[in-house]
Amino acid sequence: MIPQEIPNTAQPPPLEAPLPEKLDLKSLFEALLRRPHALVVRLAEPNHGATGRFAIMAVGSILLFGFVLGCFAKNEQLWAAPAKITAGLIFSGLICFPSLYIFATLAGARVSISQLAACLAGALALAGLLLLGFAPAVWIFAESTDSLGFMGSLAIGAWVIAVAFALRFLKSVIFATGGTQKAPLTIWSIVFLLVTLQMTTSLRPILGRSDVRLTQEKKFFLQHWGDTFGSSLKPQTAAKKPAPEPTAAPTPENPAGRNPYLEN
Amino acid sequence: MHLRQLIQPDADWLDAPSPRRVARVALTACAGLAIYGFTVGFWRDPLMGGYVAVKLPLLIALTLGCNGLLNGLLGLLLGTGLGFRQSLLALLTSFALAALILGSLAPVTFFLAWNAPPPDSPGSKNAHAAYLVAHTALIGFAGITANLHLHRLLAVKAPTPAAATATLLAWLGGNGFLGAQFSWILRPFFGTPKLEVEFLRENPLDGNFYQTVWQAIDKTSGGHGLPALGVLLVFLLTPILHAIHKNHQTTPRP
Repeated sequence: MIPQEIPNTAQPPPLEAPLPEKLDLKSLFEALLRRPHALVVRLAEPNHGATGRFAIMAVGSILLFGFVLGCFAKNEQLWAAPAKITAGLIFSGLICFPSLYIFATLAGARVSISQLAACLAGALALAGLLLLGFAPAVWIFAESTDSLGFMGSLAIGAWVIAVAFALRFLKSVIFATGGTQKAPLTIWSIVFLLVTLQMTTSLRPILGRSDVRLTQEKKFFLQHWGDTFGSSLKPQTAAKKPAPEPTAAPTPENPAGRNPYLEN
Repeated sequence: MHLRQLIQPDADWLDAPSPRRVARVALTACAGLAIYGFTVGFWRDPLMGGYVAVKLPLLIALTLGCNGLLNGLLGLLLGTGLGFRQSLLALLTSFALAALILGSLAPVTFFLAWNAPPPDSPGSKNAHAAYLVAHTALIGFAGITANLHLHRLLAVKAPTPAAATATLLAWLGGNGFLGAQFSWILRPFFGTPKLEVEFLRENPLDGNFYQTVWQAIDKTSGGHGLPALGVLLVFLLTPILHAIHKNHQTTPRP
């Protein structure tokens, strides 16, 4: 019996179209989200012009996110918060870049300085885009709460998630360029995260209000967060006022005896 | 588009997120939620029913609208391969399924509202509590079913089950976090008997859902809020993660 030949009907996976010759903002955005490996390869070529565009993307989105954070305290924080967090992020990126190059090389990556600079700018742009995604939710809470602890946790939470994706992109850069070891980038990631978190204290106040625009007092960020976690934007007396009971008798301030916390 | 297509989607359901399909799914979700919403508010007052019929679809629209960019980014970054419109269609499909479940139960919930002691009667407090429990259970059931359905849709598109689970959990976390606050802003839904009927409470943006929940947990646990919250989270998350894990085996109808 002649065995019947079964035709191979399986379709080969579709080939990815190469990235366009000219990397504009849209194609960079697409590549960053959908094809990070192809992007890394493309960034190894000269004259890609992506570094500046990534920087514009990062700065623009961080400024917008900063404005949303400034909506919490309003007044001068509407411009001070975006200015501070943008400056803080640029400064963090600049002071951490030399160590990134060394650690990437230690991990085995064969990446040029300009390629790595483009990749770091891309990672920050990705973080900025994610922060922009969080911005509407953060704004809703900025308008609803007076608790510095809650808003601070929300903003830091959004930043940690955004930076996790940015670091994941950098990890793919290291491995796409021949890197074999995880440990150096892990250490660098911790250093970078700590630097950005310390910026929240060095550039304070970012969320709250203060008579001075930049304080000279030195503090570690955990201590600063501990000191301000229970604070409120409202004066202390108003913040500590207990919520009325559900069956509270009507008072001059609350004629209906309503407890807004128990309404559904 | 038939309802069957929505409830038993083909494997390529998310491949064609045309504006027409997105609009039809959104309309289905709005209709289901509006009908169910009317029965939720009806017990307090027919006018309240009208308000809730508007507010329930509004709650979903606001949540998906505000988180649209984030959902799209997470869909791409977590490896499902879904674009922005596909992510929107996937989430809308899930909400539409929940809306269909709740909408189909609307005659029953209307009957419940019709037969419950009226809000101005002596037994209104107990009726309100029972009403709350019944609707919370129904919404919980519809939500869990819709999310398992969404997970199946994602599992077909994602290269690995882990990517589908990660995307579902990320969407669930983001939309749940913001949706809870929107539900706080858009209160009242059930209508506390002693309070007047109104579309929104005075100063709706004042207050925060999570701080309120925390205060309630801390108060009822006698100051042991943190361990109580931990136990509560374990009880809530364990069945959800178990269901998602089991759901990895299932795929939509070919």
